[in-house]
Amino acid sequence: MKYPLNLITLALITASGSMMPSSAPAADFSVNKANTNSVNMDKFQCKRCPDNTGYRGSVEPGVAYNDSDDIHSANAFNSEDGVHGLLNADLQYRGKTGYRAKAQATNLGLANSSAHLEAGKTGSYQAELDYRQLSQYQHDNAKSNLWYADGMLTPSDQVQTQELSLKRKQIGMGLSAGEQWGGQDYQIFARYSQEEKTGYQASSLVSPRPTNFGLPVDATTDKISSGLSIGGQQWLTSLNYQYSEYDNQIESLSLPYLSDVYAPAPDNSAYQLSLAGQYLFNRTAISAQLATGRMMQDEAVIQTSGNPIQNWDGQVDTTDGKLTITSVLDNRLRLGGSVSYSKRDNKSSTWEFAQLESDGISGAFKENVLLDTEQLNYKVNVSYRINSDYRLQAGFDREEMDRSHGAREQTDESTVWTKLDIRSFANSKLKLKASFSQRDGSQYQASGLTSSIENPLLRKFYLADRDRTAFEAKFNHAPVDWINVSLIGRYADDDYTDTTLGLTSSEDYSYNLNADMQFDKRLSGYAFAGQQWIESTQNGSQSFSTADWSANVEDEFINLGVGMNYSGLLQDKLSIGLDYLFANSSSDKQVVYIATHPQGDYYSYSHSAELYANYRVSELLDAKLGYLYERYYDTDNAQVDVNAIDGLTTLGKLNHNYNAHQVMLSFSYQLR
Amino acid sequence: MRIRVSNIVYGIATLVLFSFSIQAVPWEQLPAEQLTKKLETKFSKGKYSKKGADSCLMCHKKNNTVMALFDGVHGQDSPANSPMAGLQCEACHGPQGKHNKGGKEPMIAFGKESKLDAASQNSTCLGCHNDPKQMAWHSSSHNLDEVACVDCHQIHTAKDPVMDKLSVNDTCTSCHLEAKAAMNKRSSHPMQWDQMTCIDCHNPHGSMGESALNQLTVNDTCYRCHAEKRGPFLWEHEPVVENCSTCHNPHGSINSTLLKSRAPLLCQQCHMDDGHASRVVPQDGQDAFGGGKSCLNCHSQIHGSNHPDGSKLQR
Repeated sequence: MKYPLNLITLALITASGSMMPSSAPAADFSVNKANTNSVNMDKFQCKRCPDNTGYRGSVEPGVAYNDSDDIHSANAFNSEDGVHGLLNADLQYRGKTGYRAKAQATNLGLANSSAHLEAGKTGSYQAELDYRQLSQYQHDNAKSNLWYADGMLTPSDQVQTQELSLKRKQIGMGLSAGEQWGGQDYQIFARYSQEEKTGYQASSLVSPRPTNFGLPVDATTDKISSGLSIGGQQWLTSLNYQYSEYDNQIESLSLPYLSDVYAPAPDNSAYQLSLAGQYLFNRTAISAQLATGRMMQDEAVIQTSGNPIQNWDGQVDTTDGKLTITSVLDNRLRLGGSVSYSKRDNKSSTWEFAQLESDGISGAFKENVLLDTEQLNYKVNVSYRINSDYRLQAGFDREEMDRSHGAREQTDESTVWTKLDIRSFANSKLKLKASFSQRDGSQYQASGLTSSIENPLLRKFYLADRDRTAFEAKFNHAPVDWINVSLIGRYADDDYTDTTLGLTSSEDYSYNLNADMQFDKRLSGYAFAGQQWIESTQNGSQSFSTADWSANVEDEFINLGVGMNYSGLLQDKLSIGLDYLFANSSSDKQVVYIATHPQGDYYSYSHSAELYANYRVSELLDAKLGYLYERYYDTDNAQVDVNAIDGLTTLGKLNHNYNAHQVMLSFSYQLR
Repeated sequence: MRIRVSNIVYGIATLVLFSFSIQAVPWEQLPAEQLTKKLETKFSKGKYSKKGADSCLMCHKKNNTVMALFDGVHGQDSPANSPMAGLQCEACHGPQGKHNKGGKEPMIAFGKESKLDAASQNSTCLGCHNDPKQMAWHSSSHNLDEVACVDCHQIHTAKDPVMDKLSVNDTCTSCHLEAKAAMNKRSSHPMQWDQMTCIDCHNPHGSMGESALNQLTVNDTCYRCHAEKRGPFLWEHEPVVENCSTCHNPHGSINSTLLKSRAPLLCQQCHMDDGHASRVVPQDGQDAFGGGKSCLNCHSQIHGSNHPDGSKLQR
């Protein structure tokens, strides 16, 4: 009897042993823990290591031809209609004693481009220089009769077309250095950058009727950042400083018959000083950061009757801090937690300013309101490995927010969540997550200093009581060597439990499927598909009582893509590829007021296709030929002709509907 | 004498058979836990090779992936704390031990084929990479979700794709499929053309800010590129001051300008006074409330106004 029992016991122990890992923590293979007692590194050699010193890299000049009648296509094509030269380069130099240099250029000559130079000695010091240009195109056919020059918006007799686009030009430079000293690692860096942002963007003013116009943008932002860090084997500390200054060259805007009708963004500056540290104690990591900052604005205030000041001393002080602890107790159990604090303390001055209503006659004096916020977050989490295939995580997050003068001065949100990781299938992973959060807070005030008297049944959506339930599933599977499939599904439901007027519910659910394939050494491909639905409802009241209208919004997004690359043509000298992408964003809105009123169209779609071929002319020279096609369409029923609505002047219908083509030819020359 | 010879033959045969019996259970087939223990033991014994990298390259030189190490920064013999300036290949792959004796002993391996858990693999990297960029790694969501460094990084290459601005987005979105899709919505940051990258806002190694952001708050992150929204303004708009993501989804939206909802409905989720804010707009494009820029036709300074007469964010 004893013998069989022992066998059973042994079998159980064996089975449990094979299912459950020991309680030993994960291995530590860090080089500073290596046992090097018997190593004689003087005899270490690398005669078989290749000598990669010297120059290497590639230079790729090219030319692009675009055929498009809508400037919006320049977002995808990186250049406007016509012929454009371009240059890509990636050059490196490596010296025998650690000196190195790098020069990179990406799409120089096109609308979005960058260049980067760096030189230094690896691990010791480095200097770098950057250039970057970013362009964003909205529309080249905005219609306006207001033209900007020297602070004046001058009306013209006829409506003319205007381009709405923004361009950012950035230059930057940086220095960094590091040194091992007394067993500690010292690092220091300093960086300066400047950005010039120019162009026009859509805006609107009241004169006294609302008039949309192209707001000129001409601003410079300077940024400085620097830091010092010292690290030992078990600890690390860093001190960082960053400063930013925004200088807007556009002063107040006037109309010939109405001065100072619009105040563009004022010049401002901000700095932040932060001290951070980390300490590793066995399997416990403690990190902390404390930061103090200030945002300032003392731009001259437009002089109007009823304005008591020349300059406003706008100042907001910020304090942020965070402490995190995570501890691996054994191979199965990990505990973690964090506390963070963030305060925005508005120390600006308050004054009473005359406020004119839109008719330009009536009005009253009003004092500017200083908004303060104070946020405290704390989180705890636990991770438990049930066995080698199953791991369970759970956590509790709490967010407490205090705000001054808000409709609700205090909100708190508690979230419980859990995750289950399963690896029990061959070559597959399944991750499940569920969470539930509840937002509550202090008594809701219908009227506040910062708003007019609101309907007492209204609950602003970001302050309202809310129950949020969310689920997420991630599945990754590699059934065979040549394919990897990922699927993610999400569902979230927001229920605004105490809201009669305002946003009452929102549902957001989606899936995304992706497959990467490597059929053989030469042929690879991918395919993906995704859809998302967001459905929300809200109520309103025209009669300042209970709800008398409601709106249902159903958003839908679909995204499909497929591509392949084959590199086995002409004795492997020619590779060809294809990428195709389809995206469709649509939003259906129905307003229920006495009768149901379906809104007009609000959707956009695009088809993008790219064909490319890369031919290896010689060992050092590649020729690339590419063709890119974009079909883009968007519409918005709110976009109407300039004077289609009485009392409103628009910029016209800013929709897009175009087919665009690009052909690009480039030659890539390898230096080595 | 005959007996002695037979004994020797028997002895040799036993040794050969024994060695075959070891080969019959190669370390590739060891369960993860046993392999980890074996590697730990081997690591602690510290039986490093006599000639460093040359010992390894004696067999592995024909492997292009192995040799690509020397094209990248980890293959350089400077600075002094570079792997190649120290224990060379064995700095990361552990002591050679008897690995070169017919592959009898395992080495520390990384990536898809490795049976080591993420924490064990990562311990090798973290042994050297203990700098401010990784300061929040231990409490980061990637660490808690057992993401290995080599899930994103490549070492045996001239250029690690995740360190290249033109390919880092591909690495991130290979897992974050929803972010990949959102890039193609009606409005998004210019991520789909790699003009912006995920790491412009996020630190994949974790951060002391929320959502692994490079800055401490959402708004501080937005202000890095949108300094004109920073203010402070004479007249502020509460949700703007509190959190940009109250109204905007930075990853992309079905609506224009990254808005979570469109005006006037977005505005009417917070404003329902005894005036025009509560007015129903049955159809877009019919009047000034639903046409053009909707509420922003008049309240264009929605992010704050510095006009003394700007309390209604009109000027």
